[in-house]
Amino acid sequence: MGNKKVGSVLVVGAGIAGIQSSLDLANSGFKVYLLEQTPAIGGTMAQLDKTFPTNDCAMCILSPKLVDCGRHPNIEIITNAELGKVVGKAGNFKVEVKKKPRYVDEDKCTGCAACTQNCPVSIALYPVEKIYIKLKDEDLKIVKPILEKYRDQKGNLLPILQQINKEFRYLPEDILRYVSDELDIHLADIYNIVTFYNAFNLEPRGKHIITACIGTACHVQGAPGLIAALEVELGIKVGQTTKDMNFTLETARCFGCCGLAPVITVDEDVHGKLKRADIPGIVRHYKLMEEKQDA
Amino acid sequence: MAYRTHLMVCTGTACVSCGSFNIKKLLEEEIKKQGLDKEVLVVGTGCQGFCAKGPIVVVQPEDIFYQLLSPEDIPYLVEEHFLKGRPVKKMMYTPPGEKIQIPTVSEIGFFSKQRLIALRNKGLIDAEKIDDYIGRDGYNALIKVLTSMTSEDIIKEIKNSGLRGRGGAGFPTGLKWEICKNSKGNPKYIICNADEGDPGAYMDRSIVESDPHAVIEGMLIGAKAIGAQEGFVYIRSEYPLAIHRLEIAIEQAREYGLLGKDILDKGFDFDLQIKQGAGAFVCGEETSLIHSIEGISPEPSQRPPFPAESGLWGQPTNINNVQTWANVPRIILRGADWFAGIGTEKSKGTKVFSLVGKINNTGLVEVPMGITLREIIYDIGGGIPGGKKFKGVQIGGPSGGVVPASLIDLPVDYEKLTEVGSMMGSGGMVVVDEDTCMVDLAKYFLDFTSDESCGKCVSCREGSSAMLEILTRITEGKGKEGDIEFLEELGQAVKDASQCGLGQTLPNPVLSTIANFRDEYEAHIKDKKCPAHVCKALINFHIDPDKCTGCTVCAKNCPADAISGNRKEPHIIDQDKCIKCGICYTVCKFDSINVE
Repeated sequence: MGNKKVGSVLVVGAGIAGIQSSLDLANSGFKVYLLEQTPAIGGTMAQLDKTFPTNDCAMCILSPKLVDCGRHPNIEIITNAELGKVVGKAGNFKVEVKKKPRYVDEDKCTGCAACTQNCPVSIALYPVEKIYIKLKDEDLKIVKPILEKYRDQKGNLLPILQQINKEFRYLPEDILRYVSDELDIHLADIYNIVTFYNAFNLEPRGKHIITACIGTACHVQGAPGLIAALEVELGIKVGQTTKDMNFTLETARCFGCCGLAPVITVDEDVHGKLKRADIPGIVRHYKLMEEKQDA
Repeated sequence: MAYRTHLMVCTGTACVSCGSFNIKKLLEEEIKKQGLDKEVLVVGTGCQGFCAKGPIVVVQPEDIFYQLLSPEDIPYLVEEHFLKGRPVKKMMYTPPGEKIQIPTVSEIGFFSKQRLIALRNKGLIDAEKIDDYIGRDGYNALIKVLTSMTSEDIIKEIKNSGLRGRGGAGFPTGLKWEICKNSKGNPKYIICNADEGDPGAYMDRSIVESDPHAVIEGMLIGAKAIGAQEGFVYIRSEYPLAIHRLEIAIEQAREYGLLGKDILDKGFDFDLQIKQGAGAFVCGEETSLIHSIEGISPEPSQRPPFPAESGLWGQPTNINNVQTWANVPRIILRGADWFAGIGTEKSKGTKVFSLVGKINNTGLVEVPMGITLREIIYDIGGGIPGGKKFKGVQIGGPSGGVVPASLIDLPVDYEKLTEVGSMMGSGGMVVVDEDTCMVDLAKYFLDFTSDESCGKCVSCREGSSAMLEILTRITEGKGKEGDIEFLEELGQAVKDASQCGLGQTLPNPVLSTIANFRDEYEAHIKDKKCPAHVCKALINFHIDPDKCTGCTVCAKNCPADAISGNRKEPHIIDQDKCIKCGICYTVCKFDSINVE
């Protein structure tokens, strides 16, 4: 592009990323239109206390940028507006912006907030639409007693999730939403916990769970070879489930059977002191068991 | 009823997976069939430690050790030994390389060199019976504490004993208790950390499985000293048998009035709850563990404030490891001086190690502090199998480092291990021989820690994955000049900048292998060779045409169909198809497959 700055830029979304991009663009000489859906710029970061991973105060980072953005001569903020049609191609776009009414003369308003404080009708500006999850009866029969058992305990989320994971062999989304409603814990917090621990699964798992130990003792005694053999034998990779939903292949960090290394478990059965050549036989045994059951 | 003989069947997890519940059932049936059921009692004990030889049965009081039992052995064993009184030699232990069996437990090197404190009841009691524990002086220490000792007395005793945290860091236990006792706040909590995340260590599981009441008694004494009324045992969900036994033990202790309100009519209240982990390594870190019990995102938090001041739900909390708790009743009962008389100047008492990897006698061993590695590996462990060369021992899991073969006479205690760049950790000892690639081992630990890093600190999250990337590159033969120096620099930076123990120690496996096995790293980078023949990208399999007999076993077992050749003619490996899985190498009976 060289040194000659031409044209203008539309930034959609005035969160921290949008604000920073606008500032950078505006500082390099572009005219920036900053579009935002809500009545104010700042986005989610303005609602946070601290930021990851440094625990810095969120507003301390954000507010100088808000001010810069608000008075930058090259930035025009368009709030309470949505992006409509975009036509054209690189270098020449035409954009339609739909601006919602504010019922306030923006040129005269100083943002003193006296009106909001004195308004006799208090309504939530953006009411949160709460959707209550209805579970299937058979699921409810399992989930409800678990919730009742732990409802009044402190720190109950973990045991509840463990029980559900045990019953369903994974954590179905609708059940997690139900738990979130019932316990009044935000779904995002539940998701945080679920993805933190290795014991939880968000995908359905097979009838038989084959877990290869990759603890240190098993590693030096040849666990990687066992896993390779299991992958070949089952035709899936670690973390996947066979198409017939019979087997899921997983790894674990140590069952504490280091004396028997290398070890795999199939469901509750432990198979120790294995060699690669033992794997086909073990897998075949469970496959046959399944075939017998089907027949 | 008195029995003339007790059969102690090991029902620890390792033996159970070799079928020891079945052995126990068969023994009971067979003994009944022979009409001996009024004379011989079959007892299911916790882990006896010698996991390599399971299923294990020890005959008491004769002290005779039977190993590697199979269901077919049982009728013969019962008839010969218990009916005719002739111990069966062929089922006894024979040391590797020797021909004569050793009949009794006390003569077997694996057991005779050990000194049991935390594991004193292993193999002697039924873990599911509180009476067995009481019969072995159990809960006497609690009685002593409740009748004749004040909180200050207890803390003084533990301080004088020199007991240090067995979880790895080695903080003096008495001091920890004192800080917690003196900090303001009510209620106070105590926690037993049984979240044994170290891959390659399983002593905590074993203690809980074989002697759960020792842990409960230790916690009761700690609760009395600190002034806590509620306790938690945070245990890995991967240990179902341990959880089951602990549940039984807690239930029995409640029935006997040893947990609950007004214990032993002394106006002391205490109760215990089990909290199960869900598989996150970082939860072994105390602040993270506390967050996990609270049910919030289990990231570690900044210390201070230490849990002793502000822990579980903001209250003063004392956390100790399973093994630390199990030591407490013995110290109270036998006195601080007795305990302080064992071990070295700064490390007192004993430590349980799990001896695993490339060693003959894998299992759990409890040894006095200050014992040399040579004694552990050769006298107790029975040396390296298959006549291979001993290369080193990895101590302390992902936080520890490798102690090379040249330091085999190193006395094992907290300080000495730290000096050589390793650490006590929870006590996993993984023995490695010439077939283990050190770069691969370091990569293995980094793979583990980068996966388990909670992501809170940038240095740990990004540092571990950057180090893993470099190590992976080296094992793939794409190492560059300067990689080793960069790893050293990066490792130090991660150590300095991380908040919790996980980040502060995760570079140890890399730094210690670089320090002790730099030549292996250089071989990977400069010569593009893996001296231990482990790193797949750097090895090739070839069939020696002179040795190959054309038996077709390798071709049949090859998962990639890479081996071809006619019957009774030398076979050949198609290098393009070969996935280097090594199956052919394992199955060949004629030693005709070469690895380069």
